[in-house]
Amino acid sequence: MSDPVLEVRDLVTEFPIRAGVFRREVGRVQAVSGVSFDLMPVETLGVVGESGCGKTTLGRSLLRLIQPTSGSVRLGDVEVTTADRHTMRLVRSQLQMVFQDPYASLNPRIPVRDIIAEPMRIHGVNKEEAADRVADLLTRVGLLPEHGNRYPHEFSGGQRQRIGIARSLALRPRIIILDEPVSALDVSIQAQVLNLLDEIQDEFQLSYVFIAHDLSVVRHTSDRVAVMYLGKVVEIGSRDSIYDSPAHPYTHSLLSAVPVADPIRERSRQRIILEGDVPSPANPPAGCRFHTRCPIAEDRCRTEVPELRAVAGGQQVACHSALEPGQSLVELSRR
Amino acid sequence: MASVTHSTRERGRIVTTEPLLRVDGLEVGFPSKSGVLRAVTDVSFEVRPGETLAVVGESGSGKSVTALTIMRLHPGSTRISGSIMFEGRNLLALGDKDMRAVRGNEIAMIFQDPMTALNPVFSVGSQIVEAIRIHQDVSKQQAWNRAVELLALVGVPEPKRRAEQFPHEYSGGMRQRAMIAMAISNEPKLLIADEPTTALDVTVQAQVMEVLHDVQRATGSAMVLITHDLGLVAGSADRVQVMYASRLVETGGVDDIFYRSRNPYTRALLDSIPDLLATTDRLDPIPGNPPSLLNPPSGCPFRPRCQMAVEHCAESVPELVVVGEGHASRCHRTADIEVTPVETS
Repeated sequence: MSDPVLEVRDLVTEFPIRAGVFRREVGRVQAVSGVSFDLMPVETLGVVGESGCGKTTLGRSLLRLIQPTSGSVRLGDVEVTTADRHTMRLVRSQLQMVFQDPYASLNPRIPVRDIIAEPMRIHGVNKEEAADRVADLLTRVGLLPEHGNRYPHEFSGGQRQRIGIARSLALRPRIIILDEPVSALDVSIQAQVLNLLDEIQDEFQLSYVFIAHDLSVVRHTSDRVAVMYLGKVVEIGSRDSIYDSPAHPYTHSLLSAVPVADPIRERSRQRIILEGDVPSPANPPAGCRFHTRCPIAEDRCRTEVPELRAVAGGQQVACHSALEPGQSLVELSRR
Repeated sequence: MASVTHSTRERGRIVTTEPLLRVDGLEVGFPSKSGVLRAVTDVSFEVRPGETLAVVGESGSGKSVTALTIMRLHPGSTRISGSIMFEGRNLLALGDKDMRAVRGNEIAMIFQDPMTALNPVFSVGSQIVEAIRIHQDVSKQQAWNRAVELLALVGVPEPKRRAEQFPHEYSGGMRQRAMIAMAISNEPKLLIADEPTTALDVTVQAQVMEVLHDVQRATGSAMVLITHDLGLVAGSADRVQVMYASRLVETGGVDDIFYRSRNPYTRALLDSIPDLLATTDRLDPIPGNPPSLLNPPSGCPFRPRCQMAVEHCAESVPELVVVGEGHASRCHRTADIEVTPVETS
């Protein structure tokens, strides 16, 4: 087995809570709370969870767009969390990001050609080579080289996301963090962009961290999946283990809540409707963070924090009473 | 204009009822510097009492504009023709005062973003009280008690205390419940829900859809559910209409649309979405982009993206043609689309 391209260990990212006239720090929110995983070459790791679960902060912490509080992110021999400015430049040539909103992430005042060439300029690629690469990249993402002369507002959402992808490829990275890359796009355009991401992954031998809330999209794109709840990974494993035999009650409920575009199956599906909302990450519940909404929580769950452990389906789960493959949460919760 | 039969299937039984809402030949245009933007073209449909009609389409297909026009919430410069008959009255011909008596009372609307739909400077309870007292002659105290009951009905915990709170003290899912409570406060016969759960997380979406279904069961109101989420449609709708580039392109029972679609756009849309319950290798996207409404292509607007397009498609816009009971499709090649039978009952 080859070595991971990215090793993340016990990553913690906190934000200060400030109050009062002097904006004094009165507390801290742990948005990412001890996350560990390996990203293998040419692999897609899907990261799913609801808003506030820390998935976006996790993505940004990996690139140090937000400075992590503690823990480690290793890219080859480099420790990203403490790298100096010079080393960070090299890191960013290897580790790129595509953002959710293709309207906000492209500078409206410069032509597309310069948007894509900008990373190359910063990294000292000479002008002729950069111009050639821009034309290549535009063609590769399904646009035309002459589109480089236009400005972002002249493009549709799907085309803009293609431009964002071309920019992320400009420095030939090994890893791209994709933060909700298709959620701002219309349904008919999403599939185009997902297929494009698939093709360039093979062509450029890329590893992806694919952050999304749409569980159907994540099933389609990911090799492995990490499910997050309130800053923690509660379940991580191969795509099929997560989708076919989820072991964490949260994963179960999440999957059962997603409506599927099939009326016959919808009529017969048993849905677990979780009560309440995700608690505030500023004041997470003691013990297992999911216990306040968990249909099968026991006394122990309110005090003891469950650690990730391997289960029968092959994945790792942080739950005291993880489900066996084939067990139904609906039936368990009725007892 | 093809008219569609007045029957719905209800557990295999044919029920024929008078429509509650009947939209006929609706056209909506927005004047702009570069000409009139046709947001809704030749749209006709009916909603029957108690049923859920889903309106599906991508952004710019005209689904939200249709809803806003029914509520008469469109800008003043809008050009509208056609008719919207609600219980025998043409809403487009009503005076402002008469329309105010309908809006929020007999027809109520639920918007996508509850934070912008609720007033931030009044408590949630007082906003529901206002909605009640506009249409009903009750005392403030009676209305307040009713508001608390309504909040309890939509699943807001501790409704007495929560009624006194302000919208910012509510989470997204709770705000959406508060808006539903306000929408049903006058027991409307028709609820129009425009992307009611798009801003919510999936576990909260499931809660809110459950609330909407419970409310419908309790009050017997009909619902027009506007959404781009085909999963929601499959789980909630009795009938579906699909819109593309300002027109209705297919309309039918939920099973007709999902299993017996006779329209290339509907089929392409269903094929392009990834499946939650099975692993797929490659998706079949719809090529290209939706057309400009200011300068639409000649003939069928889906033609440039359609796998089945032939020369004829560029010549004229196809008519909406009845292809089965309560099922109609707008496509020149409807007859050439094969349908594989699926056991649906």
